[in-house]
Amino acid sequence: MHRLVLITGKDLRLLFFGGQGAVQAALLGLLLIFVFSLAQTQTGPLPAEWLAAVFWLSSSLGLVLIFNDLYALEETNAARIGLLMAPLPQQLIWLSKGLAGLIMLLLLQAVLLPATAVFLGLRSLPAPGLLLASLAVVDWGLVALGSLIGAVGQGHTGRDSLLTIVLLPLLMPLLIAGIRLGGALLGGRDMGHMAEWFGLAGAFDAVFTGLALLLFPLVYSES
Amino acid sequence: MIQSGKPRRHSSDRSAISVCAAGILLLMVLAQSAVWFYAPVERSLGPVQKIFYMHLPLAWWAFVAFFLVFVGSIGYLWRRSEAFDHLAAASAEIGVLFSTLVLLTGMLWARASWNTWWTWDPRLSTALVMWFIYCGYLVLRNAAVREKGKLLCAVLGIVAFADVPLVFLSARLLRSIHPAVIADKRGGLPEEMWLTLLVCLAAWGGLFAVLLRLRVSQVALKAGLDMACRDR
Repeated sequence: MHRLVLITGKDLRLLFFGGQGAVQAALLGLLLIFVFSLAQTQTGPLPAEWLAAVFWLSSSLGLVLIFNDLYALEETNAARIGLLMAPLPQQLIWLSKGLAGLIMLLLLQAVLLPATAVFLGLRSLPAPGLLLASLAVVDWGLVALGSLIGAVGQGHTGRDSLLTIVLLPLLMPLLIAGIRLGGALLGGRDMGHMAEWFGLAGAFDAVFTGLALLLFPLVYSES
Repeated sequence: MIQSGKPRRHSSDRSAISVCAAGILLLMVLAQSAVWFYAPVERSLGPVQKIFYMHLPLAWWAFVAFFLVFVGSIGYLWRRSEAFDHLAAASAEIGVLFSTLVLLTGMLWARASWNTWWTWDPRLSTALVMWFIYCGYLVLRNAAVREKGKLLCAVLGIVAFADVPLVFLSARLLRSIHPAVIADKRGGLPEEMWLTLLVCLAAWGGLFAVLLRLRVSQVALKAGLDMACRDR
């Protein structure tokens, strides 16, 4: 636990004091939301699912930039070898990168959510408990897979575009669940029939957390 | 240095593939004859329904191709054998080719039966998502040329296939207007249509097998040449 906190803290410090990914992610997300707001007409507000789709699209693109930055931290001075030589299981590296990514993603969403409400005309605020539950179940899936695929992209020159092309289609079931849950929440609809979407997102989290724990040591290496 | 036995083996491989290809051609002619002259014309859709005899076998074999990517990826991680990597590479290419044709034939069929080229139908969207996933896989294959690249592709091959049931499940949760052809016993198809479908499945399956064999040998040959160039 101590080592997990140590690596996560190290990554967060480096990201806050030198990384550009989080700032770029916030700017890109805001830009996307603003561009989508131009599609609004005078006739009425956008459907709640559209709001949720724009929010999750911005979050996903932000996720790519965040993990791109997180895995680039060890590329200078062959710092990755130091991390690999540390007496800790490699899965812990995946988990710490995932935790750092989750914190950055939540910070990003703290900017994107109000921006979605302001620019895309959200009428009523969703129930905080359900909102947090939806964010938690979808965000964990995003970072579980993001942390694994982020490691796949390490060392490539066109890492950003490669990660986007590989990661976004894989996230599709989770994004569909996120959009459905977000649509119901933001539209103020009954959440009773949303259990299956929570279940789907939970299944996604479980499958990719398990696979990441299994496959990460193969992906993360010194070369 | 090329061993003396290899050219002879390549030549016998080539003739075996040629014989198989000729057999597949005959089977394809038989399948098309059954489609146009044996299977009855569907009452509500008319002749356009005959796209089904191409659309469904292509979809099934595309799925088999993606399953072989999964098998090849596991095999590579387990044995670190180049043959498994070549199988995964060739299967992914053919799977993407077949699923492209599935999407195109599906769009033609949708235009005729639903009066739209594309609709938010879960199965259409699932097919498109799978197409995107495996296009991404091919992009990674081309980007990752080093030894580690094969390892990364194998990992992605497993992750991609693990995603397929979740994509399908998410699609099922949404309402579908796509016909569930084989959902019940024989899908309510008349005998002639069912037989024609089986012949088409065999013909497209044969084509898939020949293409796969050919492409696997090409990928292996290219890998050998790349290695020879690197060693010089």
